[in-house]
Amino acid sequence: MTAAVFSTPMTPAPPVQARGLWWSQTLAMSKRSVIAIVRQPALVIPSLIFPLFFAALGTSSFGRAINLPNFPKVDNFLDFSLAGSVVQGVLFGSVTGGAALATDIEQGFFDRLLATPTSRVSILVGRLAGAALFGAFQALFFIIVLLPFGVRIAAGVPGVIIIVICGGLTGMAIGGFTAAMALKTGSSEAVQGSFPLLFIALFFSSAFFPRQTMQGAYKVIADVNPVSHLVEGIRGLVTDGFTAGHVVAALLVPTAIGVVSITLAMRTLYSRLASR
Amino acid sequence: MTTKQPPIVAHDLVRHFGTVKAVDGVDLEVHDGEIFGFLGPNGAGKSTVIRMLTTLLKPTSGSAQVAGFDVVTQANDVRRNIGVALQDAAIDPLMTGNELLHLQAVLYGLPVAQVKPRAAELLERVGLIGAADRRVGTYSGGMRRRLDLALSLIHQPTVLFLDEPTTGLDPMSRITLWEEVRRLNSEGTTVLLTTQYLEEADQLADRVAIIDHGKIVKEGTPTELKAAVGAPTLLISVPATQALTARDVLARFGELRTTAEGSLGVGLAGGAGAVTDVVRALDEAGIKVQHLELNEPSLDDVFAESTGYRLEGAATAMTDAGGPAPTAKKGRRK
Repeated sequence: MTAAVFSTPMTPAPPVQARGLWWSQTLAMSKRSVIAIVRQPALVIPSLIFPLFFAALGTSSFGRAINLPNFPKVDNFLDFSLAGSVVQGVLFGSVTGGAALATDIEQGFFDRLLATPTSRVSILVGRLAGAALFGAFQALFFIIVLLPFGVRIAAGVPGVIIIVICGGLTGMAIGGFTAAMALKTGSSEAVQGSFPLLFIALFFSSAFFPRQTMQGAYKVIADVNPVSHLVEGIRGLVTDGFTAGHVVAALLVPTAIGVVSITLAMRTLYSRLASR
Repeated sequence: MTTKQPPIVAHDLVRHFGTVKAVDGVDLEVHDGEIFGFLGPNGAGKSTVIRMLTTLLKPTSGSAQVAGFDVVTQANDVRRNIGVALQDAAIDPLMTGNELLHLQAVLYGLPVAQVKPRAAELLERVGLIGAADRRVGTYSGGMRRRLDLALSLIHQPTVLFLDEPTTGLDPMSRITLWEEVRRLNSEGTTVLLTTQYLEEADQLADRVAIIDHGKIVKEGTPTELKAAVGAPTLLISVPATQALTARDVLARFGELRTTAEGSLGVGLAGGAGAVTDVVRALDEAGIKVQHLELNEPSLDDVFAESTGYRLEGAATAMTDAGGPAPTAKKGRRK
């Protein structure tokens, strides 16, 4: 062994604090997933631009559809389409978080985390918290951007708050599915491959047209499609007002989807860890 | 550490991947304060052993204790006491060095007040103060390895695992990292490192285990291992047409040795003094010697002796799947 040159000798190991460790680990992991979103604008901007593009297209093409016999009563098409834009944006955005988790697995950062005494659940919850924050941001972003174009939220400021919370819950709920896919496949390409599925789920829902104007099989699918119910919770607040029914719908639907998706993600996480 | 037992102990460690026996019964005992080198080609099982010892993989059978804790039943206690820098575990390129150190500190549960000074101390230690706020994506290979080392030290582990710490680094970066590992070791950290570089094992390790096809084929201090090979090696190059004759001549002076393509080698039973006799004999046989070289025993010889092929000389002949490619010379397997 060589004689040591102590330019900066190490200080004794600091004591490890146990209380609140789970929370600080989860918070740190959440911060990391937010950093990943903020520093990769190229991955994030499409999920902000495309819904606006669809909203503009819808308004210019179908603006007068609001006069159709069965169309719900709204002041303009944009009021109707805002909820669709929010859900569309959050759905697409949630692919980013899942893909980032898969990239962590592919490139070994996931192993790096597993080699530390980090709570395994923190790794997943941190990702979901990032997805939730981004979902909430997206909801607020679409409201603010579309306000100058004539969007009016009938439920007022409290309604905006509920919509933003709903955006967060939706981000977490869909993020649960993409995280489960990431943990199952360990492939960011597989997660990104879920994009067309989300598109289909969106088109077979009431995101762009009201269920009242639909017919046949299309209507049956839209009726059972959870995305319809996600959209309509927000839509009620925008077009109708701040009622208990709309608030409950806006919060309960994403929560219910989240319970399913996060349970699935947890199970996938544990089966991945057990198979090592 | 909860007990007085050595920091790393493994008994008959086995790991299968499907039908492949990646690790096939490894026994290991690394002593307190030692640098232990795990030497072997790609696919020999080094990384699989290190992944089992660092709780990332479960052994198919056998057991191991690290820092006094069982790697399967007390995995979290193991993790708290070890530092790990894995060659194939990328560092998040989007984050800065400082951010990663802070994250790592929180994950190990360092008190908030200590995170900042600790990160600064480690950044200085590995010479990354100037790059602390740059994204890791802009770091050179050497800088990433040094950051990796700093990350593995955040909680001042008693046992440090370094998986191929210098693979792919330029010679200067390699030496810098070696110095840092020596310094850590002199401060009391037990180090287990894997390497496919003989020089690295020779330079750094107090003891070396040579692993091939999932088994430890030889173990000891570099000096012991080299002494066991014994005689110095005489290497000669001759025209291809005279190679067979030259082999016969060399065989009179000792055991023929595995060498790189295009040269012949013999372990001189009579020691270095026999060189003149060999030259005379070659001359009498009419052999035109193009190149002559006398090598004292090296870990390279130990490796060739134990596995039947050479490591660095044959490095390009190693396949990704591990093990020697068909071109690697299979010699006298013991």
